[in-house]
Amino acid sequence: MIKLENISKIYPPDIKALYKVNLHIKPGEFVSIVGRSGTGKTTLVKLLIGEERPSQGKIIVGGWDITNIGQAEVPVLRRQIGVVFQDFKLLNRKTLFENVCFALQVCGEPQSKINGIVPQVLKIVGLENKMHRYPSTVSGGEQQRAVIARALVHRPKILLADEPTGNLDSINADEIIEILQKINKFGTTVLLVTHNRDVVNKLRKRVITIENGLIVGDQAVGKYIL
Amino acid sequence: MFLLSILRVIKFSLQDFVRNIWLSVITIIIIVLALISVNLLLVVKVLGTATVNAVKEKVDISLYLKSESEESRILALRSKISSLGSVQEVIYISKQEAIDSFREKHKNNPEILAALLELGRNPLSPSLVIKPKDINNYEELIVSLNKIDDQLIESRNFDDHRAMLAKVNDITEKASRVGLAISLLFILITILVVYNTVRVAIYTHKREIGIMKLVGASNWFIRAPYLISGIIYGFLGVVAIIIILYPLLSFIQPYLEVFFYGFKVNILEYYNSNFFTIFGLEFLAVTLVNFLASLVAVGKYSKV
Ligand SMILES: Nc1ncnc2c1ncn2[C@@H]1O[C@H](COP(=O)(O)OP(=O)(O)OP(=O)(O)O)[C@@H](O)[C@H]1O
Ligand SMILES: [Mg+2]
Repeated sequence: MIKLENISKIYPPDIKALYKVNLHIKPGEFVSIVGRSGTGKTTLVKLLIGEERPSQGKIIVGGWDITNIGQAEVPVLRRQIGVVFQDFKLLNRKTLFENVCFALQVCGEPQSKINGIVPQVLKIVGLENKMHRYPSTVSGGEQQRAVIARALVHRPKILLADEPTGNLDSINADEIIEILQKINKFGTTVLLVTHNRDVVNKLRKRVITIENGLIVGDQAVGKYIL
Repeated sequence: MFLLSILRVIKFSLQDFVRNIWLSVITIIIIVLALISVNLLLVVKVLGTATVNAVKEKVDISLYLKSESEESRILALRSKISSLGSVQEVIYISKQEAIDSFREKHKNNPEILAALLELGRNPLSPSLVIKPKDINNYEELIVSLNKIDDQLIESRNFDDHRAMLAKVNDITEKASRVGLAISLLFILITILVVYNTVRVAIYTHKREIGIMKLVGASNWFIRAPYLISGIIYGFLGVVAIIIILYPLLSFIQPYLEVFFYGFKVNILEYYNSNFFTIFGLEFLAVTLVNFLASLVAVGKYSKV
């Protein structure tokens, strides 16, 4: 599903965010990526969604070589990959429901389709009772769940979550991870970037450890080893 | 689906318009100022042309002929003058036509008509009215007319209106040049203001744009609202100028009529009969300017 071949990303002047990374993630996997701050985890996510181009190497996502993807094709890629970041990027003037609708509206989807999908994804993340609230009136965990719901509207094959629990307490964090596992059970490949030792240890899934832009660990049932 | 997207884009740009309402209002005011100066330029041009035409009408040369001249000889003289290079047209006004137009001109003046009646005969002479081809060759024409020495000619009227004409041309041209400079200045200001407005609009929507990019909205969908805002500003600007201009024109029209007494100068009618040409072109021009300014701003600032 995701294949990185010899990927390097060097930011000017000479910051090696990633260096000669080889990685293969199969469809339906749940992979955690761990590593210290500034080791290139977010850079990896950015390469996968076409926000940055690699300095070297080859990236293939779902059989599509996106190494030198053109500006016009980036939107097509992003409709196949759901993304969740640490800071909940919700629009404060819209309800959670409207926030999720927005993602489909701006992609030109018809209202009938929007009306069908949005309640479904909100149900997956357990927000069916709070979907008409505004972001400021729900908890951080609920906001993050709305963001996950939004990432699901295109029914992506891949879900990238870059520190989705970073701003949450452990109870809320556990709930978010549960939702990610649920999504993974439906068949979506999940890539979770995290700092959270407990989360990783509880998951008992594949763990990839990055240090200074290099992959230093890759275990099928991994533990947080740093 | 495409139509749906267009509708959503228009909705977004209207939201954007309302959200930055003060900036929108200022942008439109600047556009209106630019349009006012452009329209003033147009009015100056129209009035200048009207004045020049009015003076040109007086520039015709009249040859008065002896009263008892034979028609065939007059016509021969007429074709001789017609063949001169600098002559546009020669009009023959017979004795009868002269008296008719004299009567028509003084039909409200019974004393003159009575005097004419008393006279018992037609006191007017036939004449040839010569329209010069080009005002600038006036002198040359007079020289060649003076060379024609026909016994038929009783008197020649060579009033030279060129000095006046030159003055009018000069004033019109100067006014046009000032108007053009002011218009260009305002157009430049418009470009800068629209550019800045779009820039601010994009800035206030940074979060939206970021989300749109993240969820895979196409580039045109992200940019189109700001381009459409530019068109909306242009449209409202032109509507505003129409609302402002008409009372203004109605106000100055009576003064123009007094000033151009005896000539048909109707600026209001000019605007009415060219309504779609004038405001259509102004709308197109403003829209183009706004569109380009927005395009540059969007290209520069929407990379989130
Ligand atoms: N746009 C950029 N220009 C220059 N350097 C950058 C840029 N983005 C990231 N970097 C550098 O690349 C390195 C890797 O950054 P990255 O954001 O991938 O780290 P990270 O593993 O996600 O860290 P964290 O856990 O703190 O989020 C860092 O040294 C960072 O300073
Ligand atoms: Mg990061």
